[in-house]
Amino acid sequence: MASESIVVFAQFQSAVDEGFWHRLSSLKLNKLGIDDSPIPITGFYAPCSHPQVSNHLTLLAESLPSESNEQSSTAATSGGNRNRCPVPGILYNTNTIESFHALDKKSLLKAEAKKIWDDIHSGKAVEDSAVLSRFLLISFADLKKWTFHYWFAFPALVLDPPATLVDLKRASQYFSLEEAKSVSVACNEWRNSSLTADVPFFLVCIDPNSLATVKHIKDWETCQSDGNKLLFGFYDPCHLPNNPGWPLRNFLALISVRWNLKSVRFLCYRENRGFADLGLSLVGEALITVPQGWRDHQCLPNAVGWEQSKGRQVSRCISLAKSMDPTRLAISAADLNLKLMRWRALPSLNLNALSSMKCLLLGAGTLGCQVARMLMAWGVRKITLVDNGRVAMSNPLRQSLYTLDDCLNGGEYKATAAVKSLGRIFPAVDAEGVVMAIPMPGHPVPSQEEDNVLEDCRRLHDLVDSHDAVFLLTDTRESRWLPTLLCANTNKITITAALGFDSFLVMRHGAGPFSSNDERQRLGCYFCSDVVAPIDSTANRTLDQQCTVTRPGLAPIASALAVELLVGILHHPHGIFADGELANSSSSGSSELPLGVLPHQIRGSLSQFSQMTLVGQSSNSCTACSSTVVSEYRERGMEFIIQAINHPTYLEDLTGLTELMKSASSFKLDWDNDDDVDDDDCVEI
Amino acid sequence: MGTKEEAQGTLSSTDFGVAASAFILNWNTVCSSFPPWTWVLSHHQVEGYLSLENMLLSSTQEEHGELSCPGPGIHSHQEDPIDVDDATLVHTNPCKVHYYDLHIIYCNSYRVPVLYFRAYDSDGEPLEFDEIEKDLPAYSKKALSDSKWTFITQEEHPYLNRPWYKLHPCGTSEWMKLLFHADDALAKTGVAIELYLVAWLSVVGHVVGLRIPFEMMKQL
Repeated sequence: MASESIVVFAQFQSAVDEGFWHRLSSLKLNKLGIDDSPIPITGFYAPCSHPQVSNHLTLLAESLPSESNEQSSTAATSGGNRNRCPVPGILYNTNTIESFHALDKKSLLKAEAKKIWDDIHSGKAVEDSAVLSRFLLISFADLKKWTFHYWFAFPALVLDPPATLVDLKRASQYFSLEEAKSVSVACNEWRNSSLTADVPFFLVCIDPNSLATVKHIKDWETCQSDGNKLLFGFYDPCHLPNNPGWPLRNFLALISVRWNLKSVRFLCYRENRGFADLGLSLVGEALITVPQGWRDHQCLPNAVGWEQSKGRQVSRCISLAKSMDPTRLAISAADLNLKLMRWRALPSLNLNALSSMKCLLLGAGTLGCQVARMLMAWGVRKITLVDNGRVAMSNPLRQSLYTLDDCLNGGEYKATAAVKSLGRIFPAVDAEGVVMAIPMPGHPVPSQEEDNVLEDCRRLHDLVDSHDAVFLLTDTRESRWLPTLLCANTNKITITAALGFDSFLVMRHGAGPFSSNDERQRLGCYFCSDVVAPIDSTANRTLDQQCTVTRPGLAPIASALAVELLVGILHHPHGIFADGELANSSSSGSSELPLGVLPHQIRGSLSQFSQMTLVGQSSNSCTACSSTVVSEYRERGMEFIIQAINHPTYLEDLTGLTELMKSASSFKLDWDNDDDVDDDDCVEI
Repeated sequence: MGTKEEAQGTLSSTDFGVAASAFILNWNTVCSSFPPWTWVLSHHQVEGYLSLENMLLSSTQEEHGELSCPGPGIHSHQEDPIDVDDATLVHTNPCKVHYYDLHIIYCNSYRVPVLYFRAYDSDGEPLEFDEIEKDLPAYSKKALSDSKWTFITQEEHPYLNRPWYKLHPCGTSEWMKLLFHADDALAKTGVAIELYLVAWLSVVGHVVGLRIPFEMMKQL
């Protein structure tokens, strides 16, 4: 080494554990609010322990004062151990990114440098040497995006002129064999004692017999005998063979001011596997020219120390959104759940199809609320609810998306309240509410209302068009007519759920009449087994019949089955065209499908705790999905709808049901429906 | 550990504590080139778990390039020139370093230990799973994808309340059962508790690329 070269110190490197940011966020949210006064913190570092990687000054969750304590002293607060030497620091956390960038970095650095300077002159640095490595951190915690901007400074008093390097070599080359052994032993003792393990600056005193002792720097006087070699040792985080670490800068400043030494022999103490490593450690000699005015406390030297990032003078930024943003956490937890199901039980589960499916729910009552929840549980994210009602006081008990708050002040619109509720359950849901009544046959429209009704019809047409699956969950038979027709027209997957007092029907409609070229028999829709067109079922009914009473357990059961049916369709190779299967059937189709049988209709009875599956074919006289009706709609559009709404027998005439009835009664056949459920009474709360 | 538990491949939570102490002793003696395992008490001071932190892995991956937060505001901000002096050397790390923290935590519902881990770079930024996968040796990746018993999920750490990766425990008792049955020596000498964690880690470690030295198994 040429004697003219200056000592070049390796900059301290920072490392911030995720826990520090979590703790800071929590502190900011719970305790500090907009208070941006500086916060005393503690950093931790240890001597280098790896030949290729330097150690860092680390901040952990414990670096911040605990939330319950009041302000702690400026000295290092948290306890240390041999791997964590505590170092005092200060944090300036701003409230905006602008104020972060606007902080006066020069004067902040100067202020911290002054503290070190004062500690040197007062003698505090001799007593508690960790203060020599005092540091500064500025930050801005963006708690909406969960990103953290920060910048460290490690203030170092600048020697002017700089210290020159006489020599620098591996400690193992500098010491004799005996000395090396003794130094290792003494250092290891220092590192193993809980009293001194976290004291980062020390003296190594070697007597003429090569016996080394390690002492506190305040015991400097006692090392002054002749014949003793004296080295100033410090925990060196740096691993480099040609450069001492940053802590040496302020150490040299201390030595110069306190003891006025011009020549300083130093030991950069580094370890390997927990023991002193004299091959990695360095011993060097530096020459200091004491700058003019340094003995004068009032004259503060210049300071440097802002950390560079990849050679640039910029702050750093870290994003912890993935581990801190509750919405992201909710999403990944939900995804995980479904993935586990696929891994462990159902490898053919098509999670993409579920998450991209758009579902339209007509009705946001007992059935609608439950169906929405079940869909979310299956990973469906896009849900639209249509309902024109308001939440009534009796609703929250049975309609699982509403609470008492939704009933107040006349009650929120169900569609709106449902959407809010879904968002509270799972923030990533894409839910939409439409407040709209569904036009119904048998409920004639006065001419001044006609435009509104036409508007509603068009809106419904568009809604059906823009979704992939439609759930008919309304509370009357007739309200299901128009949606059924629209779905048959566009061949959409349609699922109907209807409740009686203690029985239910859940079914999937067959494909539309013009959906395929072959003449195969389609499965029936909700109306296919009717012999009468839907009429006004609510007039002339007693209050209890109008306000439907059903056993509470029915709606959750029916809703759950409705969603499971949809998932089944989604996983069936034929989709909407899938044949109806019966439970306990031994047909080859069901044994292949991992989700099991795909029924057409499920009818259940709570009074029997029983459930059965049925298959019904489509009827050519169906008032909702027959080709006659659908083509009439295609040709005449809204005109046809209005006619059907205003004239209850129009549909029967159109489909020939009227004729059928006439001829049937002429043969005196018994048309009694032998189903358990009387469809006319299917209403829901 | 009763033979009944042994037969099922599980262990009780007290036995986990016993196994952990034996494991620490064994490891710290044999594997001095690795960082030591320590026992950490949860904040309730009742339960504890094993922790090995800051395990350093030099990565062959390239530097990320830009800072982790994209956004027009960051890079375009004009910083005032800050004083630098000639006596400052700026580090340039030739190799990207990844740090791993491993925790072994007892799971009450499955009655087996579970390996939790997380990885981060020198800035403290957590690594994504696909980056971790790149760090894993080839045999690990294969083990992960082949075996129906081993897969990695991300769940909230039971004590730290942050998402960590973990090796899902649902298959653990199955293969521990096989391990114990296969090794007559283990079954006979009845020191199964002490060796439970070593045996467990020999399988789990294989999956995450942590090679257990053979010496540890030779404790008998």
